[in-house]
Amino acid sequence: MIRLQSGLRHFAQAVAAAIMALMFLTFMLQIVVRYSARLAWLADTFPILDPTLYGWTLEFCLLLWVWLVFWGNAFVVRQRDHVTFDILYHYVRPSVRRWFIIISGVAICASLLLSIEPTWSKFYILRLKSTATLSAVFGDWIRMRDVYLVYIFFLIAVALRYAWSVYRAVRFGVEEPDHDALPDTPR
Amino acid sequence: MSVEFLVCIVTLFFLAGIGTPIAYAILVASIAYLFTAGQGIGIVGKVLMDGLYQSFILLAVPLFIVAANIMNAGTISDRLLGFCVALVGRFRGGLGHVNVVASLIFSGMSGSAVADAAGIGKIIIQMMTKSGHYTRGYAAAITAASATIGPIIPPSIPMVLYALVSNTSIGYLFLGGIVPGLLMGGVLMGMNSFLSHRRGFALSEPVPLSELPRRTANAFPALLMPAILLYGIYGGVTTPTEAAAVAAFYALMLAAFFYRALSFRALYGILVESARSSAAVGLVIGGALILNYVVASENIPSMLADRLVGLDVDPIVFLLSVNLLLLLLGCVLDATTIILVIIPLFLPTCRELGIDLVHFGVVAVVNCMIGLITPPYGILLFVLNAVTRIPLAEIIREIWPFLIALLLALLGLVLMPGLVLWLPRLFGYAG
Repeated sequence: MIRLQSGLRHFAQAVAAAIMALMFLTFMLQIVVRYSARLAWLADTFPILDPTLYGWTLEFCLLLWVWLVFWGNAFVVRQRDHVTFDILYHYVRPSVRRWFIIISGVAICASLLLSIEPTWSKFYILRLKSTATLSAVFGDWIRMRDVYLVYIFFLIAVALRYAWSVYRAVRFGVEEPDHDALPDTPR
Repeated sequence: MSVEFLVCIVTLFFLAGIGTPIAYAILVASIAYLFTAGQGIGIVGKVLMDGLYQSFILLAVPLFIVAANIMNAGTISDRLLGFCVALVGRFRGGLGHVNVVASLIFSGMSGSAVADAAGIGKIIIQMMTKSGHYTRGYAAAITAASATIGPIIPPSIPMVLYALVSNTSIGYLFLGGIVPGLLMGGVLMGMNSFLSHRRGFALSEPVPLSELPRRTANAFPALLMPAILLYGIYGGVTTPTEAAAVAAFYALMLAAFFYRALSFRALYGILVESARSSAAVGLVIGGALILNYVVASENIPSMLADRLVGLDVDPIVFLLSVNLLLLLLGCVLDATTIILVIIPLFLPTCRELGIDLVHFGVVAVVNCMIGLITPPYGILLFVLNAVTRIPLAEIIREIWPFLIALLLALLGLVLMPGLVLWLPRLFGYAG
């Protein structure tokens, strides 16, 4: 069970790292192509460098960006990585803190679960809307619905994570908050 | 104010108050808003996804994060410090000056104050405490204060966020930050000199001037980075967003091939860490987009504008009061949240009163960065406390003079828009 858990965590991190790397490379490609496009002979000699083949880079980066945000928050971001206002949280007694965890966990879990169905019906209509340029990369089947699908994963995964934290708080109480936790979110 | 909006605000403050991550508190509060208003709660997901998917400018955020992480992992920061010590280390309070100058240079490469403090700041605090001339509280305090310059001098993540909510040109915002950043560096160095003389900090062994060329050569490729970035953006070679990718690429090349200080494994770690921070920031941005949708459907910004314009306030009075409000909020709120949620409320009023939005944006970002070091809730204080183990109380005791110096600089920027707008106008800004 523990091995499975750590395997899954590594997989999720590897995916996030890959998205990040891919985004970076796509950007570089976009810049290179913009300049190679001025040299007409280049595209003639190497058909692969034909600038018209690269109209998709911008939208592809946006796709990676939304997947990075929601994949990341579903599986990679830890509780302590989030921006939180924790003065009160650290100040109160553990028994009160336990209630804080339970209340916020239940609130998140319930509202995210409730919003799955309405969100999906909003997204479902997007099955008709094709993306601007992404079919060049993925083929003709891709629709906006597929791009937005990650948000549904996010809703389910985060709801489950907070349900789990509520269960732990009810069952075991709270651990001492980690004062050394470094808020490493740049801002 | 409608009942549903009241529900939204109460939920938001209650959840955020008990330690729910801000992003989720916003998500839950806006779902509660739509639910009580009888609208479909599916709108939340739609607004969030549309907002993130359509904002090309936001792509700069993850890329600047990667760039900063690479620079901190490679030995780029150490080399820069070596150069700064040779340059300004000979004066009284030398390492304090080194601290500020290093922050000024580093801020030309990274767009984040936290990256600045946790990376180069951590190293220089060690140097300062080891030299024995400074108390550790003083070392941490001046580091925290100088790290606030990071997002003022371009590139800058907070300015990207401001450009997103205000529709101002990111290029002019970046240019507008250069003089204020230098000004902040100036006042901090002035304060450092003053304190060093008064407390009689001993002089450090000066690095012989003959060393200077070698150290400069050593740090030269890193020193080129700000120049490359600025040329890329203003020479029209890259867009500001692409400049972020170029910065990351250049840092990667330097660390991996030129300085040979980056293994493949370390790079993987950097990517995971960057993905993690980007995702967390991205969710806050997404949450702010929804909250702005709620605030806009309640028509609050224009109501506020009507009210304030009706009061016939002087633009200067308005600016000063907004700044005071932001400073107070900065004591308890996070900078990203303030820029994305609070500042848009005042933008229509600024337009009505004829306040330049680039000027307002730069001033607001400077203000929010000062908020990062105001006790009790100052992210930079926490970060330094976590990476150096210097007790918060010692840092806070020493932070006041620097805080006052920065506030004076802020006041100057508010009263003299020319300081901000001179450089953008030189490059053709019409405002």
